[in-house]
Amino acid sequence: MPPAQPLVRVRNLYKSFTRGSETIDVLQDLNLDVGQAEFLALMGPSGSGKTTLLNLIAGLDQPTSGTIMVGDNVISEMSESELARWRTRHVGFVFQFYYLLPVLTAYENVELPLLLLPLSRQQRRKQVETALELVGLSHRMHHRPGQLSGGQQQRVGIARAIVTDPELIVADEPTGDLDTRSANEILTLLDTLRSQLGKTIIMVTHDPKAAARAQRVLHLEKGQLVHDTAAAPLLAAQAS
Amino acid sequence: MMYGLPVDFVPTGYDPSLFMLAGYLLGLLATLILGAIVLGILTLPAFFLVLFGVEQLASVVAHLSGAFAAKLVVIMFRGLRRAPLRTSLTYVALFSLTFVLCLIYAVLFLINYVTAEKEANFKAIVTHKTLIPSQMPPGYYEEFKRVCLEELPPELRPVNGDLDLMSWSFVLTTTDKTNPRRDALIFLFALEPNKVLTMMDGLEELTGDERQQLQAAADEMMRNPQAIVMSKRQLKTLNLQVGQRVKSYGMNYPNLTFEFEIIGELPEGRYEGVAFMNRVYLLQLLDAYRNDRTVNKTGEPHPMAEKCVNLMWVRLPNRMAFERLSALINDPKYFGKVPIKMETASSGIGSWLAAYKDIFWGMKYILVPAMIAIMSLVVANAISISVRERRTEMAVLKVLGFQPRHVLALVLGEALLVGFLAGIMSSGLAWGALGSFKFQIMFFGSFFVPVQSLIYAPALGMTVAVAGSIGPAWNAKNVKVAEVFARLS
Repeated sequence: MPPAQPLVRVRNLYKSFTRGSETIDVLQDLNLDVGQAEFLALMGPSGSGKTTLLNLIAGLDQPTSGTIMVGDNVISEMSESELARWRTRHVGFVFQFYYLLPVLTAYENVELPLLLLPLSRQQRRKQVETALELVGLSHRMHHRPGQLSGGQQQRVGIARAIVTDPELIVADEPTGDLDTRSANEILTLLDTLRSQLGKTIIMVTHDPKAAARAQRVLHLEKGQLVHDTAAAPLLAAQAS
Repeated sequence: MMYGLPVDFVPTGYDPSLFMLAGYLLGLLATLILGAIVLGILTLPAFFLVLFGVEQLASVVAHLSGAFAAKLVVIMFRGLRRAPLRTSLTYVALFSLTFVLCLIYAVLFLINYVTAEKEANFKAIVTHKTLIPSQMPPGYYEEFKRVCLEELPPELRPVNGDLDLMSWSFVLTTTDKTNPRRDALIFLFALEPNKVLTMMDGLEELTGDERQQLQAAADEMMRNPQAIVMSKRQLKTLNLQVGQRVKSYGMNYPNLTFEFEIIGELPEGRYEGVAFMNRVYLLQLLDAYRNDRTVNKTGEPHPMAEKCVNLMWVRLPNRMAFERLSALINDPKYFGKVPIKMETASSGIGSWLAAYKDIFWGMKYILVPAMIAIMSLVVANAISISVRERRTEMAVLKVLGFQPRHVLALVLGEALLVGFLAGIMSSGLAWGALGSFKFQIMFFGSFFVPVQSLIYAPALGMTVAVAGSIGPAWNAKNVKVAEVFARLS
């Protein structure tokens, strides 16, 4: 079910790692399109290559061969510093363990990516406050991560991911460290970002219930796509 | 066994006293390092207070300006406060290093200062050629003056005539004849008081008031030969005050009884632990001794009468004048009674210090580099732990778009901040504290930590911090984001 207007286009993607004399092929001849404002879940057993694929799409790593395009940018051909600049504007990251800087307040954590952009203090302030308001944490912006619950920290993480208004949000097990209630809140928030702000979301998860909140689920095994399904039948299959 | 060496080891040419001296110096260094570490620990609260204060300031600047660099600096400060134990260790290491090196630098600076030739203030010193301590007849000083002022060609003569010549006689007396204990001793320079301000070293930096007071005291000493000026410390030790009269008994001038009138204090930090007297009074007492039948029944001159000049100084216009005068000094036609020699003041001190040149060389080229290397390792270790602990954070920063150079700056910046603060605090303490104590080292004037230390020590602290942190910082800069997250997942 290829999307009509893909934001992400992956063609003939190979990624291998070398450990000593051994070469491990993590991704093999992978092709994928992810549409604009699509919520995609990546599933698969450990070592199947889903996080590697996520890292490649997000410009955190370089493929061994193949092409990755996000919007009009061929990110597979960018240098490390070009990728760093590109990431600031075009990709938001949500991590399983939030990875907020403990010495900074929620406000300052969210502001971090904006420091790299040519914005005035007022513009930055407005964007940070909007992002924190969107995740429902305006009242805790001056708290440090240690003073927030896991769910709240993840919401700060999401605010940090969207503060630069990127078109693509990648989330690696965003609910993996949360209780069911907080996980649901985070998934609802991600869905809202897609439906109301038109963000494209790619989420790696082991949790079928989390995957079921996506519009499409991709299954990887041994570095290859084995299923490409809509989320609802998957949930039904898991339930049965 | 002597100093741990077999007896038969001594005659081979090794001087065991050198081993002993090296032992003393090593002990002194160990004590110094230990003291510096204790000081470093004691100043930790102040360090964190300063760190916190500057961080608040940086936060305000970052908030108002919104500048990226200012925000980065705030992150550095907070990173330091976040790991207090590690930051403390790095601080104490850098503090101890810079403190000890400040003192070593001060010693080397002082040696350099006193042994450097000063063309504008070219002083020569005349002493007995072989006798230590030097002793010369008083007539030598009169002859020396005559040679300088009459025998030298006019253009090579001392510019200010007689005022550029001076003699010193060292007089040790005690206020307690029966028990001449340490705190009853008075060590005096017998000299010409009217030349104190122009001929004595170390008085160039006196304030206007101090200069005036010393001049007034010198004038009074010229009028009243029994008048003396004494250092504050000496007055305190003897429990005496300005205005008091004191009776004192000669120790190196036996059977001479001095009756001094204390008319002033020597400026603080200069010639500590000594006093100045008029040489005329010493000569009067030596003359009087000959006729004093109560202690000198035979009427013989005093045994020190022909040995009472220890040093003679002259300020010459240039080196050529020194060469010419040196030739006259060596001429037995003028100075035939006892052999004398002339050196520049700096070379005189330099030859005295020559015996210790290996030690100074070792200090400069072995000790200092070794200390810098060791402290760099300590700092590198502390910082690499810090980098390892925060590898994920560094990776996250890179994920957010921070360039490798930003990460490098963050790690190096933290080290630089600690290095700078440790350097400024240690040198400030060394400079301020030692400047207040002002302890005298022989005739060199007060030991002091040069003001340049306030620049060198922070610079050294930062250099060592960079040397120690460049490796870890480079690793942090090159951290592979995907690898870090792969390891975590």
